[in-house]
Amino acid sequence: MIPFNFIRPASLAEALDFLAENGERTEIIAGGTDLLVELRGIPAGKKGPKWVVDISGLPELKGIREEGEEIIVGSGSTHWEVHTSELIRETAPLLAAASATVGAAQHRNIATIGGNIMNASPAADTVPALIALEASAVLRSREGERVRPLSGIFVKPYQTDAAPGEILTAVRFRRLPAEAKSAFVKLGRRNALAISRMNAAVVLFLRDGVISEARIAPGSATPMPERFAAAEKILIGQKPSEELFRAAGAAVAAEMVDRSGRRWSTPYKEPVIAALTARALREALAG
Amino acid sequence: MKKIKLDITVNGVKHSLKVDPNLRLLDLLREELDLTGTKEGCGIGECGACTVILDGKAVNSCLILAGQCAGREIVTIEGLSDGEKLHPLQQAFLDHGAVQCGFCTPGMILSAAALLHANPAPTEDEIRVAISGNLCRCTGYTQIVEAVQAAAGKDKGDWWLQI
Amino acid sequence: MIGLSPLRVDGREKVTGAARYGQDLKLAGMLYAKVKHAEYPHAEILKIDTARAKKIKGVAAVLTAADVPGNTAFGAVIVDNQPLAEDRVRYLGDAVAVVAAETAEIAEKAAAAIKVKYRELPAVFDPREALEPGAPEIHEGGNQINHHKTRKGDVAEGFRQADLVIERSYSTQRVDHTYIETEVVVASLDHDGTLTVEGSHQNIFSIRAAVASFLGLPLSRVRIVQAALGGSFGGKDDCMSVLSCRAGLLALKTGRPVMLSNSRESSLIESYKRHPYFLDYKVGVKRDGTLTAMEIKVVADGGAYASMTPFVTWRSVVHATGPYRVPNVKTDIYGAYTNNTYTGAFRGFGSPQITFAYESLMDEIAGELKLEPLEFRMNNILRDGEITATGQKLDHTVSVGQALQAATSAAGWEEKRRRFSEENRTRLLKRGIGLACSYRGVALGAEGVDATGAIVRIQSDGSIDLTTGLVEMGQGLKTVFSQIAAHELGVPVERVQYRRTDTSTIVDGGPTVASRSTIMGGAAVRKAAIAAREKLCAAAAGELGADPAELTAVGEKIMVASDPDRAIDFTGAVALALAAGMNLSSFAWHVSPPIWWDEEAGKGNAYFTYVYACQVAEIEVDPETGKINVLEVWAAHDVGKAINPEAVRGQICGGVATAIGYGTLEEVELVEGVTKTVNLDEYLIPTAMDVGKIHSIILENPDKYGPYGAKCIAEPTAELCAPAIANAVAHAAGKRIRDLPLNLERIVLGHKLVKKQRRAR
Repeated sequence: MIPFNFIRPASLAEALDFLAENGERTEIIAGGTDLLVELRGIPAGKKGPKWVVDISGLPELKGIREEGEEIIVGSGSTHWEVHTSELIRETAPLLAAASATVGAAQHRNIATIGGNIMNASPAADTVPALIALEASAVLRSREGERVRPLSGIFVKPYQTDAAPGEILTAVRFRRLPAEAKSAFVKLGRRNALAISRMNAAVVLFLRDGVISEARIAPGSATPMPERFAAAEKILIGQKPSEELFRAAGAAVAAEMVDRSGRRWSTPYKEPVIAALTARALREALAG
Repeated sequence: MKKIKLDITVNGVKHSLKVDPNLRLLDLLREELDLTGTKEGCGIGECGACTVILDGKAVNSCLILAGQCAGREIVTIEGLSDGEKLHPLQQAFLDHGAVQCGFCTPGMILSAAALLHANPAPTEDEIRVAISGNLCRCTGYTQIVEAVQAAAGKDKGDWWLQI
Repeated sequence: MIGLSPLRVDGREKVTGAARYGQDLKLAGMLYAKVKHAEYPHAEILKIDTARAKKIKGVAAVLTAADVPGNTAFGAVIVDNQPLAEDRVRYLGDAVAVVAAETAEIAEKAAAAIKVKYRELPAVFDPREALEPGAPEIHEGGNQINHHKTRKGDVAEGFRQADLVIERSYSTQRVDHTYIETEVVVASLDHDGTLTVEGSHQNIFSIRAAVASFLGLPLSRVRIVQAALGGSFGGKDDCMSVLSCRAGLLALKTGRPVMLSNSRESSLIESYKRHPYFLDYKVGVKRDGTLTAMEIKVVADGGAYASMTPFVTWRSVVHATGPYRVPNVKTDIYGAYTNNTYTGAFRGFGSPQITFAYESLMDEIAGELKLEPLEFRMNNILRDGEITATGQKLDHTVSVGQALQAATSAAGWEEKRRRFSEENRTRLLKRGIGLACSYRGVALGAEGVDATGAIVRIQSDGSIDLTTGLVEMGQGLKTVFSQIAAHELGVPVERVQYRRTDTSTIVDGGPTVASRSTIMGGAAVRKAAIAAREKLCAAAAGELGADPAELTAVGEKIMVASDPDRAIDFTGAVALALAAGMNLSSFAWHVSPPIWWDEEAGKGNAYFTYVYACQVAEIEVDPETGKINVLEVWAAHDVGKAINPEAVRGQICGGVATAIGYGTLEEVELVEGVTKTVNLDEYLIPTAMDVGKIHSIILENPDKYGPYGAKCIAEPTAELCAPAIANAVAHAAGKRIRDLPLNLERIVLGHKLVKKQRRAR
């Protein structure tokens, strides 16, 4: 392991002060399940971060709570805390489902939702679910706080627009009403310890048997996770049916190819994302 | 690289140490405390051989910096048995042929112990989920699952609270 | 004791974390070593500049092939593998230099500071291309490592008699053993000049031969000791020789103990794998389903070094037709050098590849003939007294039919074949059930001399030391051998202590391979224990007023067999023997029954006995995503006699899981010689959630050559499930996949996705 210094601030304010001074040469560690793999991969003699700052114990980043219609998930919440949270299961079941599929128990016990977001992997499990929840990211620096739509913080794979002095403190989203339909489906090569080959998160609202609102966020389909508006549009104003869901799946596949271009993996991903989307819609409708 | 001060409890024993800031929990246990029952198989949290219990939960000790464990409690395989008396899970692994080469065994037993700690009567599916971060190339997991089932069925004393 | 399942004798230390594996060794003053790997898959080494590395503080030695005092190459069959490359690198796992330093970090830094100048050579990565004229030559004398053949009858005539001739091609992939413990050694020099290398060794005697030759030491001054071994599956042989040579050289030059361990990345890049095979089958069959001829051509990718390729492919050539009655056979198998990672022994040893081909093929033929796969096989399988493809008359119980029946009836085969086909019409996820059967020669066969020894020493307090040259690697050898010794001496297993395997304690008894331990080593242990018992009986005979031949050892007593009341206890008998000046140490040697092979003619009695098996896999496949779930497996194996049924079950379940990985997940991806799957996040093996329920069905047809009738179990368990899964997928989804693994992309697209790559660097 390459050398670095380690600091464990006692409060968020202390952490932000430290980052304000040293942010450029610092890596933030929360769960560490991505960062330690990265640090291990730096060859001997090559430069790594000067500092690693540990935010895993900060009480300000913990907790899952509701504020009016909003659900606030502290960025330091582990996947275990998310997927076993009664509040999340009730108000955002697709997020609970996504957190439950991350890695294995050892990862879920320590890896955080904040880490999953800030690692900015195109294959992150919770990000499509959060995007389908129209979640916002709460970023804090010594100077203050900014709240951005989550989908807007990704710059490119493995990079967000967070400044070196910023910490993601929470994600927040409006609770799904009880009648909302949602699902998260994941395809991995294995049934555990698997990175998403592809995944899909969907939310549907129905009024009088007709889809009034639809959100579709596929994972591992585009360089940055985002919603697929063309496919959503196909659903709106329609009665749910197998044909409709297939059509939406096909639209997702087409949109993926539009955005990502034809790549070596497209022959596989194209039909599969269509199938996964249709499946997610089916599962959502079935409840 | 400045050494950091660290107070941690391992297997019920309090330690005050000064360690390198880039030390992983795995290295702390193996190199500093000579607890070599915790194994390294991949270094990236994909095999589970380095699993220990941190504040009651199974974690990969290769993915945690020692410094992150300040003030926390760790149980390793060495801390599971009570002197000569084996933990019911250890005994069950012997009784059910769940051990072959033994390299995954410490981590596997600790994952199972953390499961039973939280859920004393797991289903087979729950057992498989709980140990799915521990790779085993010898057993095909069959006898391991049976051993955990058998240990779970054992008298509901408070042994699993020991972790 | 025989047929019971006492607790593992090495279980307690393994569940408490006390067992000491290679990575747990720590000697005073120990240095840590790192290697400098090749930077091209094929290149001439022009200059190695170690000056900068040597200057780094804490570096004790930087060594290259120029520092090797003995032979720079070793090899069990062909001497071609260089632990330190001399003038040429042949794959990216080759080492050009090795460093020892005070810490692993310093060693790594020093290795990175070594600068090597190369002249890149044209490389070849496809074994079929490697055999073509004009291909870049990897070793002097050409790229063909070997050519084995079998010849029986006249295939041309066989094809003339056929109503249908079917030709199919199959391929299998390169896979890694993925023992959870990576390779590690500690080499140290004793004050008497003996070099000891302790570590994760599978085959201590072949490693000793390599180290002695490399360092120019006599065999008697090299001692190889096995640490607790965290899995091997055939994998810790040549690559352990390589590590042992490098660490031994550093220990010799520095005078200090040296630890050399492979990270998982180094293990995946450097250690040998299972051979990829390219298999072409041409089969003649009559309309009634009778096989008339098989013509088989196989090319195996041996990679950069021969390793076990000649023996692996020989096992394949013997078994290539499967356990079927085929009157006319022509099989040719070629091993080829390439600039890929070299390939060698891996549980199955040339059988998983051919079993995948011939068992997929059997289903395909049955399909062409509109016959049921089970019925078709039952009509063609070998029966008692019949002749194999190599012309061997089988003189034991040929139980492939019994295995087929046992596995299929336990699985509910016929009902499920029918019901799933029906239900799949309306299901999104398709269910399927498939089977595969095999026969397998036990032990080394005509690869070479097959003999091994055991020492039983009864101590004055009645405790027993047991020593053999064969190793525990998780399979339960210590327990089974202790059971045999305890059984013959009439004592509980706890009295027997199986000594650590160490080349200095017993003569070379061959490798722990080929599923030979129980049948060969077990027989030697039995003989040694019987010899020791006979001494005790002779000592006790006077006291008991009986003839020694009337005595037996049971329940910690030496007694008159016909009159158990006339007995003295075991330790009493030991005291009597010692008082009489008797030697209570017995050494026994066991040699395999005669076998022969005519390499020119391609025939022979290849093995002295065979085992038979059938596995049935029930799967669910998602045709839209390609995801397969293996739900249940029924595995019926004839083991002759299960000395420890629980251990047999452990072997079956483990072998099945390995084969599930082989069938559906695993592939070491090499692109132009570069390993793309360098850790376990990319090289995926099955987790507990990927292995379904496994039902072990143990069949027992005692064999005249095995101790208590026992034959073997380790390897056949791993050769069947991949084709059973492929056949189940064909049943479920109507898709026949002829290339392993059956991963997501193959199921959906029918072929593998290939990423465009830049030139390897």
